[in-house]
Amino acid sequence: MNIVVCVKQVPDTEALIKVKADGSGIDEGGIKWVMNPYDEFGVEEALKLKEKNGGDVTIVSVGPARALETIRTALAMGAEKGIHINDPALEGADAYTTASALAAAIKEIPHDIVFCGMRAIDDDAGQVGSILAELLGIPQVTVVTKLEVADGKATAVKAIEGAQLVIETSLPCVITAAKGLNEPRYASLPGIMKAKKKPVDVKDAAALGISVAAKAKIVKMMPPPERAPGKIVGGEEAAEKAAQLVKLLREEAKVI
Amino acid sequence: MSNLLVNTRDQKFLIYEQIGIEKLFAFDRFADYSQDVVDMVLSEAEKMAVEVIAPTLEEGDKEGAQFKDGKAYAPSCYQEPFKKYCEAGWLCASEEPEVGGQNLPVMLRTAVGELFAAANMSFTMYPGLTHGAANLVKVHGTEEQKNKYMYKMFAGEWGGTMCLTEPGAGSDVGALRTSAKRLPDGRFSITGTKCFISSGDHDLTENIVHPVLARIEGDPPGTKGISIFVVPKIRVNDDGSLGEPNDVVTGNIEHKMGIKGSATATLNFGENGNCIGELLGGEREGMKIMFQMMNEARLDVGLQGQAVASAAFEHAVAYSKERIQSKSALAGKDPNAEALPIINHPPVRRMLMWMKAYLEGIRALNYFTGFSIDVSHASSSEEERNKYGGYVEIMTPICKAFSSDRGVEICSKAMDVYGGYGFCQEYPVEQYMRDCKITQIYEGTNQIQALDLIGRKLGQNGGMNIMSLFEEISATISRVKERENLRSYAAKLEEAYNSVAELPMKFIEFFKSGKPAATIQNAEPFLAVMGDLLCGWLLLQGADIALEKLDAIYKEAGADTVEKQKALAENNTEAAFYEGKIASAKFFASEILPTVRTRCEIVKAGEIIPVEIAEVSFAY
Repeated sequence: MNIVVCVKQVPDTEALIKVKADGSGIDEGGIKWVMNPYDEFGVEEALKLKEKNGGDVTIVSVGPARALETIRTALAMGAEKGIHINDPALEGADAYTTASALAAAIKEIPHDIVFCGMRAIDDDAGQVGSILAELLGIPQVTVVTKLEVADGKATAVKAIEGAQLVIETSLPCVITAAKGLNEPRYASLPGIMKAKKKPVDVKDAAALGISVAAKAKIVKMMPPPERAPGKIVGGEEAAEKAAQLVKLLREEAKVI
Repeated sequence: MSNLLVNTRDQKFLIYEQIGIEKLFAFDRFADYSQDVVDMVLSEAEKMAVEVIAPTLEEGDKEGAQFKDGKAYAPSCYQEPFKKYCEAGWLCASEEPEVGGQNLPVMLRTAVGELFAAANMSFTMYPGLTHGAANLVKVHGTEEQKNKYMYKMFAGEWGGTMCLTEPGAGSDVGALRTSAKRLPDGRFSITGTKCFISSGDHDLTENIVHPVLARIEGDPPGTKGISIFVVPKIRVNDDGSLGEPNDVVTGNIEHKMGIKGSATATLNFGENGNCIGELLGGEREGMKIMFQMMNEARLDVGLQGQAVASAAFEHAVAYSKERIQSKSALAGKDPNAEALPIINHPPVRRMLMWMKAYLEGIRALNYFTGFSIDVSHASSSEEERNKYGGYVEIMTPICKAFSSDRGVEICSKAMDVYGGYGFCQEYPVEQYMRDCKITQIYEGTNQIQALDLIGRKLGQNGGMNIMSLFEEISATISRVKERENLRSYAAKLEEAYNSVAELPMKFIEFFKSGKPAATIQNAEPFLAVMGDLLCGWLLLQGADIALEKLDAIYKEAGADTVEKQKALAENNTEAAFYEGKIASAKFFASEILPTVRTRCEIVKAGEIIPVEIAEVSFAY
């Protein structure tokens, strides 16, 4: 079974994010980079499938030179090989362009199942997996919390509001992973040592034959407004405080 | 953002910028390593420490190790993390691939060990002792013993301990009474009681292999007559499967002040005359063999003290930025002055500065010693191997005693930063202080370490070991004196160095003039001034490097005034880090090093008042 996992390198959830003064993006100084947590679920699921059914796992990532660390981490967890799509023109690429790059790379290799995280925790767009499936022309099941693969079919459980859908699809397909799918393993020390020797192909946009013209552009990035300090409602009696509160809610907060 | 355990930037500074792990990459043993591998090792270890081990800290303390119906149990929350830790290969990371390891440089093992011990020191006792015991079998065992015990221990399937202490034989190991009686098949019947055995009994592994010190019947008294035996809790059949219990009975476990998650057992060997042990190495070589494990364990314990202190420090800094109390003392009586986070108050800042400087000093000491072990094992030059091997000898008692002494003080000051809340169990510093305390005591009390330093290590190799370490310090002083911004601090290091360097001769003089008590009496103060000298040396060496990097950052950013430089550090974490490194060195040189000279004068005076005072006069 040929399994592909798309991974993205993102700032650590604990990282303190500062927007650059000119609003063109975030200040990357001092940031610790990690694998997008939802992608980790994808890697783990791929490794479990491989351990059960045989085959191999290929990691694909779009990103600058540092993204190689994230590919190596997935290789240290147990994947076989990597494809690193590294092109300055793809820096800050929109979801469509990223998905095009991934699709171009994945088309060239056998793929029975493709995993993505349901979304990346940096820009939270949640689009790449779906666009990728469209570009590959294969079915997709998104936000998957449970997966069975047998007899050329995948049966996935997808959480929706207040219920669960059980969806069956033929292979190949794209699965986007949600929290609850599994508990990702830790890279072992022997795994880390082996990862260094595993092959990683580096490709640029030209090699993939894709257009890098963005469909969406970030005009300006700004931090959310600072939250105003709370207000203590004055007054002696409860009734007086309540009247004061209602007044504030109506006139200042304008919520009633 | 801090992980609240260890400053990973400082770890990387030591590994890459100050001590220079790339020097090790040139040796065959470490040929598979490179900076990207080291980075990944550190980040995976941090992940394991933060996500898997740290969550067991409080729960493991509350539940504690348990003793029920003759069996000891580790806290239940240790079970899964122990498996994950072993599966990830951390237990035997530094061993050769043939036995399941990855040849991880010891300097790097020190760094990951710091992360794990900072996360939960009690937890690390179980894999730590297992590693040490397995290593004894690796170096001294027969092929049969290795096949039977070692591989399973390195894999974490079976545990290990070190059984030295007895109720009547603690610091004085030679007084032990455990005996070994020859059996016709060449094995031995072991009888005796061992106490304070860390990881002595627990349920994390299905078997535990005890290296036990005992005296073969008829062998001479004292340490010379001691042999060492491999004694499994459950006997192992020739095919590797588990057989009958081996008459190793757990008497009880201790109820301790700290490291409550670590099961400290009393073990009765051969209560029913049915405990069988195999000789490890040669007869009467027990002490020599066990010393290999003890030396490793002493460095581990020093690291524990430093690691727990690191966690306490990181917590204290974070708390001091959150806790708002009192307006600035400089605000006078201004009624509009607002209360500030306590990190703004000079007394709090001073404590934090003291903690930071010492913490970075002892961290450097431990990492440098790890590096020295690597060079002493892997260098292709015999001269270099010997030189660094000599450093390891000298450094071992200092790492153990000085790291743990300062570690406990750092924990204590961390509690002071928290104030009354720190004394309460709702906050973690209370546990850090309890856990850290034992590091001063076990694995040879710090007083024993001081005696080891002056009695055994100082004169070792004709005094060449200490001389060549002194040369390194001297070289740093000469170099840093060239740097205008650090010159006055290098002078303070030089003064401390000159004072300490006189002491070895003075000790010899005491002996020759019939005053050995003056030497023995001064063992602890000597270890303390050595520790300060070495910390001062390594901190200044670090500041020298940091200054150069900081200048480059300033230059690139065009920060040519003090105001611009300050503003830069606010937004540039690298600049802030280097400024912090320089401040640590300057503070240490200004506040600590000047005390060394006076303390050396006290040693030289050779007063022996505590020896002379009559016993009856100590208490009424």
